[in-house]
Amino acid sequence: MCGIVGYAGYRQAYPILLECLKRLEYRGYDSAGIAIAGSGITVQKDKGYISRLEETAEPVAGTLGIAHTRWATHGPPSKENAHPHIDCSGDLALVHNGIIENHQELRERLKAEGHVFRSETDTEVAAHLIESHYHGNLETAVRTALQEVRGSYAFAVIHAKEPDRIVAARNESPLVVGLGTDENFLASDIPALLKHTNRVLYVMDGEIVVLGRDSARITDYAGKTIEREPQRITWTLEDAEKGGFEHFMLKEIFEEPQAIHDTLLGRIAEPELNSFFREGYTGIKLVACGTSYHAALVGKYILEEVARVPTTAEIASEYRYSKAPADRPLVILLSQSGETADTLGACREANRRGCKTFAITNIIGSSLSREAQRTMLTRAGIEIGVAATKTFVAQLAALYLLAIRIGLERATLGVEEANRLKEELRRLPRAVQAVLNQAPYIEGLALEYAKARDVFFIGRHVEYPIAMEGALKLKEISYIHAEAYAAGELKHGPLALVGSDTPVIAIVTRDHTYEKMLSNIREVDARGAPVLAIGTEGDKDLGKVVDNVIYVPAVPPLFAPVPVVVPLQLFAYHVARIRGCAIDKPRNLAKSVTVE
Amino acid sequence: MKAVVLAAGEGARMGPFTASEPKVMIPVGNRPILEHVIGALVDEGVHDVVLVVGYRRERIMSHFQDGKAFGARIEYAVQNKQLGTAHSLVEARAKVSGPFLVVNGSNLMDRQAISDLVSGGTGPSVLITESDNPSKYGVVLVSADRVARIVEKPREPVGNLINTGAYALDESIFPVIEALEKQGKHDLPSAIEALSATRPVRAIRTNGVWMDALYPWDLLKLNAEVLKGVHDVKAGTIEKGVTIRGKVSIGDGTVLRAGTYIQGPVSIGEGCEVGPHAVILAATSLGDNVHVGPFGLVDNSILMDDVDIGPGCILQDSVAGMGAKLRAAVAAPRGPASVQVEGEWHEVESVGGLIGEDAEIGAGGVIESGAVIGARARVGANARLRGTIPDGGIVV
Repeated sequence: MCGIVGYAGYRQAYPILLECLKRLEYRGYDSAGIAIAGSGITVQKDKGYISRLEETAEPVAGTLGIAHTRWATHGPPSKENAHPHIDCSGDLALVHNGIIENHQELRERLKAEGHVFRSETDTEVAAHLIESHYHGNLETAVRTALQEVRGSYAFAVIHAKEPDRIVAARNESPLVVGLGTDENFLASDIPALLKHTNRVLYVMDGEIVVLGRDSARITDYAGKTIEREPQRITWTLEDAEKGGFEHFMLKEIFEEPQAIHDTLLGRIAEPELNSFFREGYTGIKLVACGTSYHAALVGKYILEEVARVPTTAEIASEYRYSKAPADRPLVILLSQSGETADTLGACREANRRGCKTFAITNIIGSSLSREAQRTMLTRAGIEIGVAATKTFVAQLAALYLLAIRIGLERATLGVEEANRLKEELRRLPRAVQAVLNQAPYIEGLALEYAKARDVFFIGRHVEYPIAMEGALKLKEISYIHAEAYAAGELKHGPLALVGSDTPVIAIVTRDHTYEKMLSNIREVDARGAPVLAIGTEGDKDLGKVVDNVIYVPAVPPLFAPVPVVVPLQLFAYHVARIRGCAIDKPRNLAKSVTVE
Repeated sequence: MKAVVLAAGEGARMGPFTASEPKVMIPVGNRPILEHVIGALVDEGVHDVVLVVGYRRERIMSHFQDGKAFGARIEYAVQNKQLGTAHSLVEARAKVSGPFLVVNGSNLMDRQAISDLVSGGTGPSVLITESDNPSKYGVVLVSADRVARIVEKPREPVGNLINTGAYALDESIFPVIEALEKQGKHDLPSAIEALSATRPVRAIRTNGVWMDALYPWDLLKLNAEVLKGVHDVKAGTIEKGVTIRGKVSIGDGTVLRAGTYIQGPVSIGEGCEVGPHAVILAATSLGDNVHVGPFGLVDNSILMDDVDIGPGCILQDSVAGMGAKLRAAVAAPRGPASVQVEGEWHEVESVGGLIGEDAEIGAGGVIESGAVIGARARVGANARLRGTIPDGGIVV
């Protein structure tokens, strides 16, 4: 997981590359580097944030270059391991996003041939490999070298002897070309380009691009030219600015009513019915990673209750390496970026197994939307904060819509019941807004809990995955150890850890598990644990059994995950802010995980 | 030139429509009032805007962000306590220098009004306009184009030229405000009056649009004004047998079912479903995801996002907040009414129902003219509603 950018044009490349690179910082930020083709190739790199590189590097003249921001996989973050990597001659510089699986054997072979390695990265292997095939034509050298490389990658390479071009290639890591006027761009993701152009070419797996200031030629590995129409991106860069908020995460939480609204837009009046969901499967499998996996866990309840189809949820990195059972479920894949490596791998595996595949993603034209047979977009807008917030609630909104659609197509859901569900869906943006209006109160509560070392989250039924999501949010941005349990599991072990210094956050809305949850709270209360409850508006009794309550509007139990997750996100945000954590860029994490 | 737009207030007199939104975010013609104000500023070449925000400021910030989508460069200043308009301006002090404009984010203004203010010459000025109802405002007494006095809410008639709350000022106002704050005065008109004692303050009269929404029914006037400029846009699906007259804007993904009749100017948002056989008359705005059931009539009304109107409902001169739900055959006919807002009675010439967000009204309900239904109120079937039902109230 890293970000790469490239520029070939008429302007000075150095400032443009740095600026584009900053927009990819969400993809990784433990080291960064830049290579400019001017008089020869100048490479500058450093450990740390891109802003550190900006301080230590000198602007170099030249109108073509590449740059990289890294999230370490092979070799710790250090100046040596930062990209770009150069070959022995120093004429070639290369940046890479992905993992070269056979780097060990290539490294030994190249060492035997006399190549001298400077770093521990898998990437440097590629630089030397291309050097070994270089006979005056960079494109040919890359094409030949790639035949020996196994793994996932997006490469961009420049060479001192051909200072008018960048050669790039893609396999299983994202890469887009931005087309400008007398200048062209290359990047891992669209936000990097938006300031300069909204015309993009998506590069597909197994393709090589040769980028000059006035041309962008795509070929396949065999050298056949591929004609592709540029696409116009409709969202703009201002979507990526903080607009008055202290952090992107807070801004994005406050955008949740809009994200739900937009995701539902035009899909409530007339769900796009076709025969895709009608038949050809007996069960559904939801596959995702991280926060999207929590949405999938909620989705299991939604699909079973609304569409009446037996459903399971599975972690993508587990699913893709599991043995294929005989039945072929409908596989629904969830990924915000649509570039999550494991989810993509799972999609390919499901396609290979002959399953119907359906993607829910936030990014139009993403790899996942191209791999899956059908796609539904969550229209949450671009999300910059590493902790997923608005895209999570948008995924839930999409799952409700999808369940209604599957139910209608399979005739397991009556039209009347569907209409009732739609009414509830229309209400969700306001239910979320009502929680957001309590933000100052939640901020106050965060102060009380910010010193905790361990926090437990408990919930039951459809709220158990939300407890998991609450715990994930807290640990990923505030670095507090947090764990979630199905409340009934507490007494099977974890209760041993509960005491007066381990706050418990309990989700206790008014549903059929309410009484059981109350007894679980008594269990932890008896051990002296401070309890913060998320309860239903108007439930006055709850306040008597717990220390603090955040009330959320009453919605039918199946829809509760949406309003309930919001206070947990706000709570995690404020705890992290109070503890002084780097909220939008938590340590060791990256926004979309494009490595396996 | 920079403009400071005051948008920190709650708008308590807007009743159920400010339950979760600040007043400036209430939509007329399907866009927040504040968006129209910023649009007018940008159209007149004022791109740099300082938004002073307070009540529910996140709603404003997440809508306008850094302003690029609206052609503006927006900075934010936060007023934590809503003490008054002068105090509000002080919050923006660090972000202005030289001459700047001050406008109120909840007053609808057009280009003409902004242009009059901008081109009024140098030195401090106040934009004034003629009003039918001067007793609600500060009446400006003018002599030789200069402000002589500002009489706040005169009981006895003293004139009909009122202060619009739009000013062209410079830094000289800040010491004046500071001095007044020590006397516990936090409003801008007092500061302007005090300033006029030390240097001439020009009174610029505008014939452009300046409209204030003091009470919920005023929203209908603002809505009608904005809809005069609606563009003919026909997106979405229009089934056979739909009649559209006048200017009507229809958003993406909206479905107009057979037999529906629309008389513009009307603005319909995205993802709506209207009909079959519904009638939408001027000047009406339907937000996004609005559902108007079969045989419904919506006339000179505002239906905000996600409103759901069952079959056979009649709404005239009515405002329905986001997510309000009316079951079958609910009627809110127009008529003259006495309406109580914040303890004060008002005679309104013509008004229907004023229905708060997420309120739900059972089948066959009759909303008497001028009845106010609180946000999230629940009303059972066949109720006859008059007066004010509080937020979250239950009527069986």
